[in-house]
Amino acid sequence: MNMTRRHQLTFELETLSIIAISACLGIVLAMYFHNHPKKISFPVMDTQLSPTPTAPPPPQVDSSSQTSPDGTKKLTMTITSKNDADTKSYIFTTTDADGSNQQQIYTAILPPTESLTIPFNTWSPDNKYIFLQHNTKEGNEALVLRANGEPMTETDQSFNAATLFAARGTPYTYQETTGWASETLLIFNTTNADGTKGPSYWLEVPSKAVIQLSTEF
Amino acid sequence: MSKKSHPKKKSLSKTRAKKTNFFSFFKKFVVAVFVGCLFFIGTTIILQKKAQAVPCANSKSCVSDLSEKIENNATGTFAGRTVTAPTIDPNAKSTHLVLGDNTKREDKHIYVDLSTQTLYAYQGNNLFMKTLVATGKWGKTPVGNFHIWEKLVSTRMAGGEGADAYDLPNVPYVMYFYHDFGLHGAYWHDNFGHTMSHGCVNMRQVDAKQLYEWADAPSGDTPGTAVSVCNQVTGNRQCVQNNPIQ
Repeated sequence: MNMTRRHQLTFELETLSIIAISACLGIVLAMYFHNHPKKISFPVMDTQLSPTPTAPPPPQVDSSSQTSPDGTKKLTMTITSKNDADTKSYIFTTTDADGSNQQQIYTAILPPTESLTIPFNTWSPDNKYIFLQHNTKEGNEALVLRANGEPMTETDQSFNAATLFAARGTPYTYQETTGWASETLLIFNTTNADGTKGPSYWLEVPSKAVIQLSTEF
Repeated sequence: MSKKSHPKKKSLSKTRAKKTNFFSFFKKFVVAVFVGCLFFIGTTIILQKKAQAVPCANSKSCVSDLSEKIENNATGTFAGRTVTAPTIDPNAKSTHLVLGDNTKREDKHIYVDLSTQTLYAYQGNNLFMKTLVATGKWGKTPVGNFHIWEKLVSTRMAGGEGADAYDLPNVPYVMYFYHDFGLHGAYWHDNFGHTMSHGCVNMRQVDAKQLYEWADAPSGDTPGTAVSVCNQVTGNRQCVQNNPIQ
């Protein structure tokens, strides 16, 4: 009798264990499939059509421009190569959308190893500031200017966000300015000493304060 | 006799025991498979429902209403800063009528590539627009295939909590495609090409205006312009979507 009861108990315990194990297995499998979904790829358009790939606009070697986000202003960069080809001169002008109110706001002469470019997000949302990307052998920097051509500091037409950040002596290296978080806040990314992504920062343009962010951009 | 029958009985009981063992094992196996399947299906359903429960893009305005609002001279807040809203022409009313090309409305398709933060707008095979946008950072932009269900020339969007709270009047050129997730102009930042929204697709005002005038709202039985939010858009306009909502 005792033996039978023990036998029954063992049997029930065994069954319960198996049920518990299979339940766990079911949950684990479900979670796995949920976290590793099959990629679905489907043609959204009729595949019989032969879409014309859109060629990017031909590169403008001597001139490029960027419209402000509200479409009312335009920043144009004109590059002139010197005869000896040792330097290039850059002239930046702003105009209204219709081309009126032209104003030269910044000029620079650079060796062939350096260049200036207008980023997509160059204009501050209120069109009061712009930033330019200065490309050098070592990396890139951001030059911040007033869109009306007035100087940024008592002595300079612009200030350099990378230099400003380096002077703070953080363990991070300036990497790239992505754009404007608000009318006066520039967002830039940094790298760690080992080259991995570091924290992102805000640069408050009027006060030149640098604020570390908890969010990475 | 008894000596002769004993081995037979023994083998009979052995066979019975084997049979009992087999059935017992089979029973356990069936129960295990059944329970496993039950838990698998249950967990899958729960996880899918959880994944598909998409919150609002704008936690406050989503609940209040999604109607047209023109509030000229109002100021908004974003990232703890006061922002100046653009002036909206009160005569440029929202419309369900088609502002674009009525005859070819079915050919229009907007693709949003989340991997490159790029928007493509096609009419047939012709690229109408290609521009950088800013999609969800603080909330996910829903992946899937939708249609514009409402076009508003301007509305107020509000949401977030604490330092993340925002309240933005005169958000221009709004094209809702899924609940309160929409394509719209963003005047409070200029960081396109990077995630920067609470789930909507932020565009430069200049681009949003152009797209708003081109895209179609639903009209009668005809749905609005198609919008595909893709994890990636590969060559030949292949929209790769992981776990699309619809």
